[in-house]
Amino acid sequence: MKILIAIASKEYSGPTLRVGMQIAKALNASTTIVDVAEKASKFNAKVVGLVQERMDSWEFDRPGIDILEWAFNFLAENKYISPTLVEEGFPKNTLIEMEGNRSEVFLKGTICKDVQLILRTGDIIAELRDEVKLGKYDVTIIGGSGKRRMAHDLIQYIDSSIFIVNQFDPNQKYRILLAVDDSTGTKGAVKFGIRVAQAFNIEVDILTVSKIDKFGSGYKSAAKRAGKFMTRAGIKFENIYRVGDPAEVIKNEAGDNHIIIMGASSKNPIMKFIKGSKPLKVMEDCKCPILIVK
Amino acid sequence: MLGFSHSSLSNLLFWATQKKWLLITIVVGFLLFLLPAPDGLSIEGYRIIIIVITALMMIITEPIPLPAVAIYILVFEVIFGINDADGIAHSFMNDAVFFIMGSLMLSVAIIKQGWDKRIALGIINLTGHKTKNIVFGFTAISALLSSFIGEHTVAALMLPIGMTLIRFTSEDKEKVRGLSAVLLFAIAYGALVGSIGTPSGGGRNVIMMSYFQDFGLSISYLEWMIKVYPLVLIQIPIISWVLINSFTPEYDHLDTAVRKLKVQVAKSPEMTGRNTVAAFIFLMVFLGWVFLSETYGLGTIALFGVFLYLVAGYVKWEDLNKNTHWGVILLFGATISLGSNIKGTGAALWLANQVVYFFGSIMDSFPFAMDAIIVIMTTTLANVLSSSATVAVLGPITLNLGDNSLHLGLVTAIASAFGYFTAVAAPACTIVYSSGLVGAKDFLKVGWKAGVISMILLVIYANTYWLIIN
Repeated sequence: MKILIAIASKEYSGPTLRVGMQIAKALNASTTIVDVAEKASKFNAKVVGLVQERMDSWEFDRPGIDILEWAFNFLAENKYISPTLVEEGFPKNTLIEMEGNRSEVFLKGTICKDVQLILRTGDIIAELRDEVKLGKYDVTIIGGSGKRRMAHDLIQYIDSSIFIVNQFDPNQKYRILLAVDDSTGTKGAVKFGIRVAQAFNIEVDILTVSKIDKFGSGYKSAAKRAGKFMTRAGIKFENIYRVGDPAEVIKNEAGDNHIIIMGASSKNPIMKFIKGSKPLKVMEDCKCPILIVK
Repeated sequence: MLGFSHSSLSNLLFWATQKKWLLITIVVGFLLFLLPAPDGLSIEGYRIIIIVITALMMIITEPIPLPAVAIYILVFEVIFGINDADGIAHSFMNDAVFFIMGSLMLSVAIIKQGWDKRIALGIINLTGHKTKNIVFGFTAISALLSSFIGEHTVAALMLPIGMTLIRFTSEDKEKVRGLSAVLLFAIAYGALVGSIGTPSGGGRNVIMMSYFQDFGLSISYLEWMIKVYPLVLIQIPIISWVLINSFTPEYDHLDTAVRKLKVQVAKSPEMTGRNTVAAFIFLMVFLGWVFLSETYGLGTIALFGVFLYLVAGYVKWEDLNKNTHWGVILLFGATISLGSNIKGTGAALWLANQVVYFFGSIMDSFPFAMDAIIVIMTTTLANVLSSSATVAVLGPITLNLGDNSLHLGLVTAIASAFGYFTAVAAPACTIVYSSGLVGAKDFLKVGWKAGVISMILLVIYANTYWLIIN
């Protein structure tokens, strides 16, 4: 399993990095931490590059390095990287500039073979999309932004499962809210739900929502199959059946003490672009972390 | 859907999202093309206006690389029959483009000499330790230098000095937010203020000089300085005052930071013979601009300076090649071609007549209204576009707005330097923004004050001092 953790600033990305590394540890996943810094306008890109060269002679780091250094210190404090590296400190000089807007540094990890730190510059969605394509990541972990457009673009264009660390409270005792239905995405969501529940040893609420006052056979068998997998994996669970608008019901059931896990919509991208999708509606204003499995 | 996989549809949608402004531009351009030309405007004139609108949309929103916009302009000028291929090629290159090319390369050569540490010592020796004096010193030195070596060169040289003072005051950025803002804006705004002072202060000034020639007017390097430099000197204390009153520096004195900066600069190598010769070459270039530019052109002299730096081995061609934005030079060539063809097709005169038609009653009722309209129009465009491109496009129009074209052209060139409001328009602002110590909101917070004061000041200055000296 490969995980990409997107961070943006020391002020706001603490929970994202903490949760991301906990998941990486629990799933023994190969992990990459990426910061996407703002790019200068095309008009002035060259002169800004020249200024940054000049800043080196005054021992200033270029923007974004301080965030990677902060991530390095977090990894060091929590023993996610090898003790030798911790003693040596953040290896700025080993940050290798790759093609285009990307620089990277490899660190020898303790929970997995390596932890990679990446600095990119440009539009966040375009850069994350490019990074996911390049590294073939299974999950991208990112903080909640509150911007509808951002949520939409993450679901629509990032080709991996997306975990939004939204309003995460480290003191909260979370349960998993696994939303199931007869769509193709449910199977992946159940698998992920089991891995996360096992890793964090938490209980699962399997939620089936019907728009009409009757549950079709597809819905019933999806819930039954999810329950069977949970039992087989030794996870405590509860089956919940509700009637109503699925997105609203999922948000209400989740409250602020669940991690929502649901499959991505199987609609074609044009329809999702025009009409939206259930995961997008849930993600827009839910008050808890949410994992959308692709 | 129609045999396309979800993945290819997603790729298509992503492309469309990223290029939405290109698609909007195409639609706008196509719709305008379908409409008939307005009365009194030739078909070529109408088509050049379509190219201007679409090119400006693409320059502002950046959906495609800047050189691609330049190529679009050139190709469509030929396709739309504005001129033949040779005519367009001819309009693309003139001394102003040579100057922009030369000044960008000179900038690289100067920055590579590492004069910033010498400048740092000079500023500190002059201003002492008081924060207010240092802010005034930063604004004044940035302004004075940028009049001669260009705003982006000055911002590049001054930024490390400012940031070092900030770092030596406190490593915690949150504790020096006010100080950071006031020092970095002093650099950026100082550079902008000074860039109007001489023709070599910015490419926009040289573009306007080339338009003056097209209109049969002439102004020498020294005449420009006599007309404009007093405004630079008036603006320096005003901008410093605005900055000090917009951001509250956390420290009244920077004793420790200044001491540490002196120690750091003292560690750097002494001034060598090589540094002296490099400075001497630039002095020669400057004297060439002042005394020989009417004969040889500002651009040729700038390029001669680059030639000397290359021959002396003070800059490598690889460095010039890597750090010079050839795409921007191509784009300036294209915008100058646009300006030339706006004039050639009669579109400039038609647009000028429209401005007079819309604002005629205001112009009749209020003195200086014409200048005010030019200043507002130019400043607005310069804050979303580049200042040089603004002058290239607006110049031929504003020169047609009245009888005193020299007055109108100078007002346009000066107003195009008022890129105070955004971090993206002026290179000096982008450079300090790239430090990460000031944000876009800071530009708005102080930019409107600096902008409005400068605009009012310019209108008053142009209608008092210029009348007196004339």
